[in-house]
Parts: sequence; structure tokens; C-alpha cells
Amino acid sequence: MKRKKTVLLGIAAVTLSACFCAVAILGFDFRGPRTEPIDPWIVAAEALGTQNIISAIYLNVRLFDTIIEVLVFAIAALGVRYYLTARGRRREADAIPESRVVRVAADVLLPPIVLLGIYIVLHGHLSPGGGFAGGVIAGTGLLLAAIALGTETVRSRISSSVLEWVEWAVLCGIIVLAVVPVTLSRPALANPIGPGTMGRLLSGGTTLLYSMLIGVKVFVGSWVIVRRFIDHRGEI
Amino acid sequence: MIARIVLLVLLPITAGFALIQRRRLYAIIGMALFSLLLASVFFLEHAPDVAITEAAVGAALVTFVYVLAIRKTGRLTVAASEVPSLIERVGGRITGLEWEILDRLARRVGLDLVVQFMPVEEIEGALLRGDADLGAGGMILDGFNQRILRCEPHLPTARFTVRGPSEAPPIEEGPPMAGYLADLVEAVRQREPVHVRLDLARFLALSRNALDAYAVLRHEDEAGYAFAIAPSRSDLQSHLAALLDRLRETGELNRLIERHLR
Repeated sequence: MKRKKTVLLGIAAVTLSACFCAVAILGFDFRGPRTEPIDPWIVAAEALGTQNIISAIYLNVRLFDTIIEVLVFAIAALGVRYYLTARGRRREADAIPESRVVRVAADVLLPPIVLLGIYIVLHGHLSPGGGFAGGVIAGTGLLLAAIALGTETVRSRISSSVLEWVEWAVLCGIIVLAVVPVTLSRPALANPIGPGTMGRLLSGGTTLLYSMLIGVKVFVGSWVIVRRFIDHRGEI
Repeated sequence: MIARIVLLVLLPITAGFALIQRRRLYAIIGMALFSLLLASVFFLEHAPDVAITEAAVGAALVTFVYVLAIRKTGRLTVAASEVPSLIERVGGRITGLEWEILDRLARRVGLDLVVQFMPVEEIEGALLRGDADLGAGGMILDGFNQRILRCEPHLPTARFTVRGPSEAPPIEEGPPMAGYLADLVEAVRQREPVHVRLDLARFLALSRNALDAYAVLRHEDEAGYAFAIAPSRSDLQSHLAALLDRLRETGELNRLIERHLR
């Protein structure tokens, strides 16, 4: 009976995969990207002087979608805080120390990982990436460091209250920057920084500013989540 | 174009591979591989931002978080009191009759075995709190909390009373032994007055030192050594019972007892 179920499941899986492959291969547009910008948003984004059109769209033209994404991340951090606080604080049991491979690898890898994250955040308006990806990369590097250092060191070195204040302050900063020009009906305030020369680091108007704010938000948010896990679960 | 077709065909294959894995760690690695392939597809479709984000989130962060999540659930934690021949540390390893049984159990349910040594009276609390899944180390479960599950005893034992020399503190009712066995051995070696009730394995360990200054009484008892199981892990009870039955049928249990307790 179990064998028959396995066979049926296998046949269903193969059929579904074949359908997927057929639809994907026949339906995909294998030509190159379109060269004429027929999208009005792309036209608007190009006027902002940002080299990476994607960043210009999601950080300038369609900023409110991005704000809601950042809010989703903030709600996730809030959910972690809410459910873990209900469990109460806990001292950990004897922690089993990490193997030497992990600790040495974390020593070597942490600086390049955080540097890569900061680079991707700062060059969000020039090359692919942006605030989210850079913040996630830096946060993952931090998670690696937290595992390698052990919970005691992390607990003593990371100050929980300062980080949570920073996280919420950055979130409020993003929202105020985006919403104030709309509420005051002054579109000129929306882009206080000029476009600059395309391709340089300080260009593209407020794109770089938002990119940095979102990167800091995601990075500090993952710090806070790790610290909460250690406080309330006793281990990571 | 060939690269895109190959990657697209590989996607459901990798997903199927991740689905059929038995060990959770392998399934997580399969999902990380799927995420990387998907990031490559995104890149080849001229969406590099999405590709970077997918690689960072799917292959790095989510994999990391999954591995951390199964770390705790992938372990079988045993709270044990150190008893020679049953479960003890020798050099850098743990050996003993009960450890061998626990090792077989861990392999049977596919988890890693982690042993934490503690005094006998703390084992019950650790099981009730959920800090440990099993209790071992020559446990006689008569006085234990009703919520703690137990299995058939795997080794019959007898009770001994060791008393002396001359004035010794009166004995209190309670579990056979308190504290660490090593402290008792040290006290016997120093010929301090003791009055304890011991079970077979601990008495054997104690009798490796000279006991001529002490009076030893043996009581016959219907007790047996068994494993204590935390109330939250009733699935372990059936696995352990099945394992012990199989060991008894094949005679393996007797062989293990011969090897460790003679």
C-alpha cells in the first residue's frame, strides 16, 4: 500500500515537472531586453539621474511599495519580540561550544561579508543590489559571528535597548522622509538632493539616502532578532 | 538559451530531490541549491537585483535559519548521572551498558545523542522542564513524578545498605542515592562515616575500594533499572520499548550486560 502510494506520488511529480518545463520553455521570452523605454515609469526614473533604473523605480517613483515592504520586516521583528517576551527570559544551560572550524571560519569570513553588505548598500543606485540585499547579507554575517562567538559574548557585547531605538528611529526616518512631502503637498521636498552626475557615488538624488536607511534598518533588525532569541530561548 | 533551458529543467528536479530526503539537513541543502538555481534563472532573465536578493535571502539567510531551527530538534538530550559500567566518561568518550542502548536508540530515530551529566536529584526536574528528553544512569523510578513516562526495566538490580564505621548519620527515606557517586567514593576512600542505600551498579563501583570498615546489608528488591522519559516525548517511549524488545529477542541485551557488568 505504501509502495503504491509512492509510485503514484512519483508519477504525479514527474507529470507536473514535465508540464512545468514545457510551459516554461515554450512560454519564456528568450529574446534580449527591450531597448526602447516604452514604460512611463522608466521614463520618469531616467530623469532622476540614477544609473540603476530598478533602484530609481522602487526607491523614488514607487517609494510607497518599498515602505510597505520595510513595514513588513518591522512587523516580523515585532512579532518575534511579542511572542518571545511571552515565554519569559531564560538563562541558558551548558552551551555546547561550536567546533573549531566554525569559529576560525567566522573569524576569517566576517569582515569580508560585512564589507560586501555595506558595499552593496552604498552602490544600490549604481549596480544591482540595493538596501534589502545588502542589509540581508550583512545580517547573515552577523548571524555567523553570533553562532561562532557563543551566546555569552553576544549577550554582553550587543546592547539590546540601543539597537531597538536605532531600528525604530530609522523606520520613522524613512516614513517621515517619504510621507512629509505628500502631506504638505510640496513635491519639491520629495527630492531635496539633486540628481548629480550619473555614475558617481554621490548621485541619483535621494536614492542613495533611502538605500542606506533601508540597509541599516534590515541590518539592525536582524541584530535585534538574534539578541531576542538569545535572551528568551537561551540559545540562538 | 541552452543555459536557460537547462536551469529551468533542473529546478523541479532539485525541488523533487529536496522533497524525498529522509534527513532534514539534506532537505535544507536541497532547498539552498534550488534557491541558487532560481537566482541564476533570474540573472539570465536580466533581473540582477532580484537575483542578488534571492541568493542572499534564499540560499544564505533562510538556510541558516533552518539549520539553526533543527539544531535543537535534531538532538536527543539525555540527563544522566555518572555510574560506572552503566554510563560513564572514560577518557574523552562515554561508555557503558546504558550508553550503548541509548546510542542504538538515537541511531534508530535518526537524531544526535547528547549526554549531560548531573546529580541524580536534578534529573527529574530536568525531564519535567523539558531540558532533557531521557534520563539514564542506573535509575530506579519508584519515587518519581507520575507524569514521567517509563519503559520496562532493562536490568534487574538489588539494593544494598552501606553503613559505618560506628557512628553514622541516620538514613532518610528517599531515592537510593543523592549527589554524585564520585563524592561517595571519595568519602569511602577517606573512611568517613556514611550511611547510604545503593543499587547494584553503584555498589559495584563503590566496592572497587576497600569496604572492610563498613557493614553491608543486601536486600532483595523487585526493582530494575529503567530509562525515564520526559512527558513531552511519548514518541520516544514506543521507540525505546520496541528497541528493548528487539534486543531481548536477539539476545543482544544479555551480551551487552555480560560485556559491561562482569
